[in-house]
Formats: sequence, structure tokens, C-alpha cells
Amino acid sequence: MIDFSGKVLLLTGANGAIGRAIARLFHRHGAICVLTDLDEVGMADFARELDPGGRRALALRQDAVHAGDAEHVAEAAVARFGRIDALVTAAGLYRERLVGEMSEAEWRQSIAINLDGVFYSCRAAIPHLSEGGAIVNIASMAGHRGSYAHAHYAAAKGGTLSLTRSLALELAPRIRVNAVSPGLIEGPMVQPLIARKPELIPNTPMRRLGTAEEVAGVVAFLCSDLARFVTGETIHVNGGLHIAS
Amino acid sequence: MTGHAGKVVLVTGAGRGIGRAIADAHAEAGAAVAYLDHDAGLAEEAAAAAAARGVKSVAVAADVGDEASVNAAVAKAVETLGPIGILINNAGISPKSGSDGKRARLGEMSAAEWRRVLDVNLTGAFLCASAVVPFMRAAGRGSIVSVSSVAGKTYCDIVGVHYAATKAALIGFTKHLAGELGPDGITVNAVAPGRIDTPLMRGTAAEANEAVRLATPLRRLGSPEEVAQTCLFLTSDQAAFVTGQVCDVAGGWLMT
Repeated sequence: MIDFSGKVLLLTGANGAIGRAIARLFHRHGAICVLTDLDEVGMADFARELDPGGRRALALRQDAVHAGDAEHVAEAAVARFGRIDALVTAAGLYRERLVGEMSEAEWRQSIAINLDGVFYSCRAAIPHLSEGGAIVNIASMAGHRGSYAHAHYAAAKGGTLSLTRSLALELAPRIRVNAVSPGLIEGPMVQPLIARKPELIPNTPMRRLGTAEEVAGVVAFLCSDLARFVTGETIHVNGGLHIAS
Repeated sequence: MTGHAGKVVLVTGAGRGIGRAIADAHAEAGAAVAYLDHDAGLAEEAAAAAAARGVKSVAVAADVGDEASVNAAVAKAVETLGPIGILINNAGISPKSGSDGKRARLGEMSAAEWRRVLDVNLTGAFLCASAVVPFMRAAGRGSIVSVSSVAGKTYCDIVGVHYAATKAALIGFTKHLAGELGPDGITVNAVAPGRIDTPLMRGTAAEANEAVRLATPLRRLGSPEEVAQTCLFLTSDQAAFVTGQVCDVAGGWLMT
């Protein structure tokens, strides 16, 4: 039903668990994938594995905190493939720290990666996004409900949600802009949290962790024509945890 | 690929408009579809059109606000198509009985009209869910999508207080049932359409619809098919970990 044949995806944080799942799904639907990550070597290895011929995948280094990197990857995507049809910002940093013990540098680092980085990528992509294109920003349940010992992360994700809606207003009707807020997704990132609060799983209505593939499926929907009247929206992928007490 | 093949779907208010589009989209994705409508003729027509395309379908006439009527309709659907795995609560009314031809304001709205809107728009969802959830529990999976509205989240001049109240209530209904039924493997979500080009909408003055169009970032009204695609996504395997979600299909209007 979803067909991304010939569409160009620019994906940041593409070597993370969720990023890789998004890349695999879009590639399976026919997309050309421009994959960026801070981990240049790991990204290149993954891109080779995804698309051994290298015709539909391009791996690039991008440090989310550098505006110049965002410009560079957008230009490289356009130089190679002519345009950008979908931008998905999945780069992020999730560190644990209570506000009372948080250094200014820690605060700034989280905001820089999780919020500034989204701004840089969106701004860089705007001139190159094709008519009918889409942006999906990966936010987090933390952006809606706050997050104990992750205030910097939650603040940045809340900012990403507002940035998303504002961009939806600015870029309509040419480009749609939405967000996806994952909850607890299988992978190393949630292990310390589950260890400290094991009740999170029984408190989740679906009684389990989500998978990166399940996040990718929602991102694909929002980037597809199936969602062509959906903009400024945020979809939770958390098995109902956002409505649980 | 979407996981709809072989599933049985019950769509209320499926005779026309958004409901018909949702039912047809599920049919196209490979599901068997029960077209429920209070207008038997419209239900028959929609089901027959689906059958002509090779879809396993049945028409069921029912008043969703009436328990016996709903139970009889669900029994007929199950008998014909098998256990229901997907329920779409779409049936809804939005009376325009005000003295100016628009929705009645408080003071001119009768208690009878208030109750009728609650019966169809809200109690109907409760009665249908009550009737189909046992089948979903038995299967250990299922999904329910209710059609709410952006008018359930914020003030919308076009509709009456009864309509807004029921659409807001469907959001509470959705979130509560998502929590209650999650352990049974049942997802419960809602869509909140903005201004969609349907027969119901054409009952509204053209200038009111034009005002909404201009206030909608995508600068157009939506189509029933666009609402249907979001419903189809929410009932697909792709949205297996999405529950308790209310998804606007509103072109960015209000972004509530």
C-alpha cells in the first residue's frame, strides 16, 4: 500500500535502533535513503548491508549540534539524488541527570542535540523538499508528560513538538510536518529505566515494550500519501503508556 | 501486508460519507465488511457494491442508539461473516435545527434533540463495543476506532453543544477503553476529522465551510477517503503498538 519508489528520504540518527528500522522499512518500500549519523563508520557499514549496490543508500556523517553538517548533508542528498521528499529526524541523546545536579554543559548538550539539531536539519531541508513532501520529527513521551531525571531531554522533546506544529503552519500547504512520540521501545536506551521501574511494563496497557519496527511503521504512514490530510499531528507509539496512570 | 486480509470489520454509519469510505477502504485491503446503517437502503447499496467487487460483505440495518437493534445487527454480521475483529464507531448525527438554519444554540435546543445526539454519537459506540469486544477477547486481538472530531477538542462554531460533548466523550471513551482492553490485545484509538467534504457537511452554509478552508493550513477540505486511510492505518499491523491515540485528520486545522 505504501510505495516510496523513487522518493528520497533524508534520515538523521540513522544508525540508532529506531533509525535503522526506519531505514530498512523505507528501503523495502522503494525509497532512496540518505542516512546520517555521528558514527560515520557504523553508518557506512549499515548502509552497505542495507543496499550492497549503493544505488539507493548514501551514508554521511552528521553531528546534530553543527548547523553546517545539516547544510552539508542536505546539499549532498540533492547533489546525488536531485531533491528530498521526506526528512525524518531521529538523532537524539538520552542521559540521566537530576536537575539539581545538572551542569550547564549537560543541559546545553541535550538541548543542542535533541532540539537545535532538529531545527538545523529542518531549516537545511526546507529549500530542497519537494511539493507534497513530509517531515517527521521523532519526539518522545517525555515531551508530553515530562521525565524524571531527564528534564533536559524532556524539555528538548517538548520543544520539538512545538517546533513541529509551527513548521506545519509555515510549510503548509506544500509540505506536511508531523511528529512521532515513542514510549518504551526495546533496546539499550530503556534498560536502566526498566531496571529502576519494572512496573512500567505492567502499567502499559499493551503489557510489553514496543519495537523499533513499530515506530518505523508509524513514521512511514505519516510520510506516505495515506496521511496527506494529516499535518501538525503527533502520534504516540507506546502501547497506551501515555494514557496510563 | 496491512494484516487486514480475512479480518471481519463492522463499520457503523457505513451507508455514506466517511463511514462508507472507511468500510470500502477495509474491503479493498482484504477484509470482510459489515455495512451497518440506520438506512437499510443505503446499507444494502453499499454492501452490494462491495460484493460486486468480490468483497465478502453484508448489510445490517440498525439504530446504534438501541441496544436490541445493535445486538441483532452484530449477531447477523457475525453469522454471515464470522467473529468481528475490527469495529469502527462512525455513526453520528449533527442536527441543524436552529432558527437560523444552523445548529441550535443552548436555549433553543430541545432535551429530546440533546438525548438523541447522545444516543447515536456516544451510546452507540458503547453498545457496539459491548457487543463486539467478547469476540475480540476470545481471539486475543482486535481493534476499535471511533470517529471523534476536532469539535470534541475545542470550540467549533459550526456544531451544537450536543455534538461537541459527544465527540469529546468519545475521546475519554477511547482512552479509557485503551487502558481497559490493552491487556486483551485490543487497541482502541480515535480519529478527529476536521472539515471533511461529506453529505453531513453540505448541510452547513457554504461560507462557514469556506472560513474553515481558509483557516486550515493545507488550504482545503479533507475527503472521506483521507479519513478512511488513517482509520485503516490504525487498524493495521503497522499500528500494533498504537493505542489510546486520537489522530487529527484535519489538514492542520486547530492542531488541538
